[in-house]
Amino acid sequence: MSQAGRAVAPALVARGITKRFPGVVANDSVNFDVARGEVHTLLGENGAGKSTLASVLCGLYRPEEGQLLRNGAEIRLNSPRDGLSQGIAMVHQHFRLVDRFTVAENVVLGHKSLSFVLDNAAIEERVASITQEFGLPLDPRAVVGELSAGERQRVEIVKALYQGAELLLLDEPTALLAPPEVEKLFITVRAMTHAGKSVVFVSHKLGEVVDISDRITVMRAGKVTGSVRRGDADVRRLAELMVGREINIVPRRAKSPTSDVLLSISQVHLEREGAEILTDINLEGRAGEIVGVSGVAGNGQRDLAEVVAGLRMPQRGNVTVCGVPTSRAGALGARRAGLAYVPEDRLGTGLAPSLSMVDNLVLTRKRGFIVDRKSALRESEGFIRQLEIKTPGPLTPTRKLSGGNAQKVLLARELFAVSGARVLIVCSPTRGLDVGAVEAVHALLDEARDAGKAILMISEDLDEVMTLADRVMVLYRGRITLEQAGIDADLDRIGRAMAGLAS
Amino acid sequence: MNSNIWLLTFADAISIATTLILASLGAILTERSGVINLGVEGMLLMGAVTGFVVADSSGNLWLALLVSVLVGVVLSAVHAALTIGLRANQIVSGLAMVIFGTGLSQFIGKPVEGLPRPVIIRPLNFGALSDIPILGPVVFGHDLFTYLTWLLAAGLSFYLHRTRPGLLLRATGDAPATVDAQGGSVARIRWMHVIAGGALMSFAGAWYMFARAAAWSQAATTNGIGWIALALVVFASWRPLRAIGGAVLFGFTLQVPFTLQAEQISILPPTIVAMFPYLVTLAVLVALSTPRARRLLGAPKLLGQPFVRDER
Amino acid sequence: MIVFGRRVRMEQRLTTPSSLLVVVPVLSVLFALVVGGVFLALTGHPPIGTYLDLLDNGYTSFYGITDTLGLATPLVCTGLSAAFAFRMNLYSIGQEGQMYLGMIGGTWAGIVLADALPTAIAVPVVLCCGALSGAAWVALPALLRARLGTSEIVSTLLLNYVALNLVNYFIFGSTGFFRDPTTSFPQGRTVSENARLSPLSFFTDKVTNTYPTFVIAVVLAVSLFWLMKVSNYGYETTVYADSPNTARYAGMNSTWLQSSVLLISGALAGVGGAMYVVGPAGKVDPGLLQIGLGYAGIVVAALARYNFVAVILAAVLFAGLRTGGNALQASSDPVPIAIAVVLQGAVLLFALGGELFRRNKVTIVRVKQAVA
Repeated sequence: MSQAGRAVAPALVARGITKRFPGVVANDSVNFDVARGEVHTLLGENGAGKSTLASVLCGLYRPEEGQLLRNGAEIRLNSPRDGLSQGIAMVHQHFRLVDRFTVAENVVLGHKSLSFVLDNAAIEERVASITQEFGLPLDPRAVVGELSAGERQRVEIVKALYQGAELLLLDEPTALLAPPEVEKLFITVRAMTHAGKSVVFVSHKLGEVVDISDRITVMRAGKVTGSVRRGDADVRRLAELMVGREINIVPRRAKSPTSDVLLSISQVHLEREGAEILTDINLEGRAGEIVGVSGVAGNGQRDLAEVVAGLRMPQRGNVTVCGVPTSRAGALGARRAGLAYVPEDRLGTGLAPSLSMVDNLVLTRKRGFIVDRKSALRESEGFIRQLEIKTPGPLTPTRKLSGGNAQKVLLARELFAVSGARVLIVCSPTRGLDVGAVEAVHALLDEARDAGKAILMISEDLDEVMTLADRVMVLYRGRITLEQAGIDADLDRIGRAMAGLAS
Repeated sequence: MNSNIWLLTFADAISIATTLILASLGAILTERSGVINLGVEGMLLMGAVTGFVVADSSGNLWLALLVSVLVGVVLSAVHAALTIGLRANQIVSGLAMVIFGTGLSQFIGKPVEGLPRPVIIRPLNFGALSDIPILGPVVFGHDLFTYLTWLLAAGLSFYLHRTRPGLLLRATGDAPATVDAQGGSVARIRWMHVIAGGALMSFAGAWYMFARAAAWSQAATTNGIGWIALALVVFASWRPLRAIGGAVLFGFTLQVPFTLQAEQISILPPTIVAMFPYLVTLAVLVALSTPRARRLLGAPKLLGQPFVRDER
Repeated sequence: MIVFGRRVRMEQRLTTPSSLLVVVPVLSVLFALVVGGVFLALTGHPPIGTYLDLLDNGYTSFYGITDTLGLATPLVCTGLSAAFAFRMNLYSIGQEGQMYLGMIGGTWAGIVLADALPTAIAVPVVLCCGALSGAAWVALPALLRARLGTSEIVSTLLLNYVALNLVNYFIFGSTGFFRDPTTSFPQGRTVSENARLSPLSFFTDKVTNTYPTFVIAVVLAVSLFWLMKVSNYGYETTVYADSPNTARYAGMNSTWLQSSVLLISGALAGVGGAMYVVGPAGKVDPGLLQIGLGYAGIVVAALARYNFVAVILAAVLFAGLRTGGNALQASSDPVPIAIAVVLQGAVLLFALGGELFRRNKVTIVRVKQAVA
């Protein structure tokens, strides 16, 4: 304990927590504790069980086995509300805010001690005082729907503090933030620990947690694999604990792409309802290279992908795919010219969730009056074998597949089933996938690149862009603010560009 | 044709608007919680017929109103059980309520068909005030429930926007997952408001029966007023106070054919004039769905979607 | 919710056992009969005796079943119409009005065009005109839905009232084209004999109320079922219904899909109205307004779970309730015909509730203590 000598019970202790979901043991006899005024990080890959543990700690999930002790006394949490009454609050990765409400309304929503008739002035004042105390600049009267991701996160934190949280669980709090915003968050975290509050930081981003944490506990496959204190934290060792084997940080391949330009975007300009979404985008994709576009979510990535895919018509500028102009050709025209597209939203855009793999393979084919499902069935069986897709069968609805297997179906269709597609756009191809699936997807993308396709990869995961891309670009407020070759990509400059601080 | 007729038509429109306001307030409460109840027409009919039958046998207006409110509670509880409890399709369930309510009201109303109303809700007596030109009939020519309905609209507006449960209600329609994460019970909030809404709808039917309709008749008692009330909810952009203005407008279109008939003004055949309220409602709906209007409206975001807690 | 230490737990089924596909509708009907029985008993009618009468008059006697099939004919069409739209998540409830328009359009063709044509051509022409009129009646809501996103629910419904008044206008409000000029009694002008079919006799010498249009309706349902299963149009609507974003992603034209589905739905209801002309009515007949076959089509479609072939069975079931109910109303101990509508509504409500059991495995589990 950092409060040396005093026999103070930890703020929260979890002993032998086991939580099962159908088919998986998400937490297997996990032990964890956090002291007052401490920042304790839970580190692990996606699917390691750290979010599940956090959900158990805040009362969202009820574990099958195990025990929770708050300040030394056993507690039982049946709901997040029970957690709150114990001063435990969680800030989820996906914010749970009402977009149409003001900051103040969101903060007080569902608060027990609220009077029947709302006294807006008093509430706003109280909210303002919290924002000042912990360095969380926010206007209590702003409408949440108009705030940035970073500001929304602050609303969530203020909400927790307003409800009297003494222990905050932050689930992947940096996922949506640009590096400078992460710095601001860390200042707030420090302000909270100075005030004697405890913070549990849930993250899979090794690099950034080392600075902020007093302790780091690593989880893998539902179990705790190790725990280190501040000062003993060695990035390489932590990485091995996370992944469970030795890591070789692969140097960026320096294969020079051919000079065939397959995708060219010139001076593309997109407006929606009078607001500029994309400004003067120029970009080229050559055969055999991956162009990585990174940026904080909501800076026009999705619109860029949709413009190239023919789903959105730019007001000005041209897109050509394999020499054919497609910016006015629509989705079918772009496909005919040789384009394939893997959208970020796999189930719900890329795939029709209730339809089978067979029916989903037919989706981007040319279909006659009668749909030819026979050949698609043969094709699906082939893909299931080649790509080791785990599915009960080709006729199972795709929503029953795991994220990784659904992504394989989608990639199979876009990479192989579409004949002649030489240009591929992929958006956040590994979001939410577990380690094994991430590797499989990356391998498929590399394979496609080596086969001479031009790939435009748009991803908010900077690590992913850094490992895969031959060229790295940063999109900020609809403009490309930085372009670097993959080999000399400079993390610091990219981070600054993502935050809009590039020169 | 004298201008007095139109003044009286307007006064009548304000009166008839009471049903529309009550029904659409019920629908607003229901929809604000994220549940659509398309069964308004069925609720109105059931409220009207049960009120009539009870009044016919007891002669007691208050008992009749109470029973019809209870009927609304029961019917909307069925809708709530289907849509909230069993997560059935809200639209189909609402239609089932219309069909079920239409059939059942005919069944129940068969013995009393064509009988005159056993009790009548009459306008309050304001003495000399009612004789003031224009203001008299427009403001002082109504019954107790009409005034109470206006108060109710104001009260519900306050409830929605200025109270703690109102805040929670609005959040439930927009972001049920947020309410759930806050420890609020989405299901309970929805149940309560669907039922309160149903009670208002069926009360609207009973009021119409005793204040406006001449007799119970199986086909023509409500004549699609329930559907117009649903359109009115959109028109009022889910705000209780705005429902009053819209209801008077729609009430006017409902009243005009009667005025024309009563005054024997035959510009158009009555069957054509009878289309008028529905066409006006349709036109208003169209005007409201232009992109510009849509931005200003603000329907509850997750209207019509069942809430299932996401546990992986 | 925890009751007596037990909690209802629901898990999504991976596959639906085929037995449930039969069990759920059958149970829905049984439960509805129980509800109807309560109302019958409350109003002093013996439930079981009434139901036996209903069975005999609606289904098992010769005239009962032939009356039922005759009534089921337009009902199959409005059921198909509702199923066609609802499976695309387009909740058009304008079948009633579209059916009236089908009757009007069919009658127009039967008067104007049929005289010069042999029956083998005149009947299809009348049916096609009915289909076109039904489609035309939904054109405005379809356009509004596809272009502006106006809710088709209220717009189609409002047009039902307009259509109803239109029929009233033609027969009661005016002495125009559709009104029989030879009598002062307000009734419709009869179509050419070439546009009429004579009733089926089912190898007896009796005159029934079933017309060959019933066969046409069945063929329509089966071919629709098959076409939507194998054709590209069926595929695209399925994708769109499941996930509009996916359809857009694949370059499908959502405006076309939405409006065409609504138009076809309107055409199907319109055919139902025209079949009424070709069969029993032969004219614009306000009698159709009293039966509510359009609204019943929605119930039929929902009970059939929007399966086109199952629509036939559901339509026959519902028509039987109606014909049986008619006979009961005319019997010595009259039961209001509304009991048929009550039963229809109740069947739908129970079928809706039953959906949950079809989609989810529902078990009651003892609640374990959270933290031991």
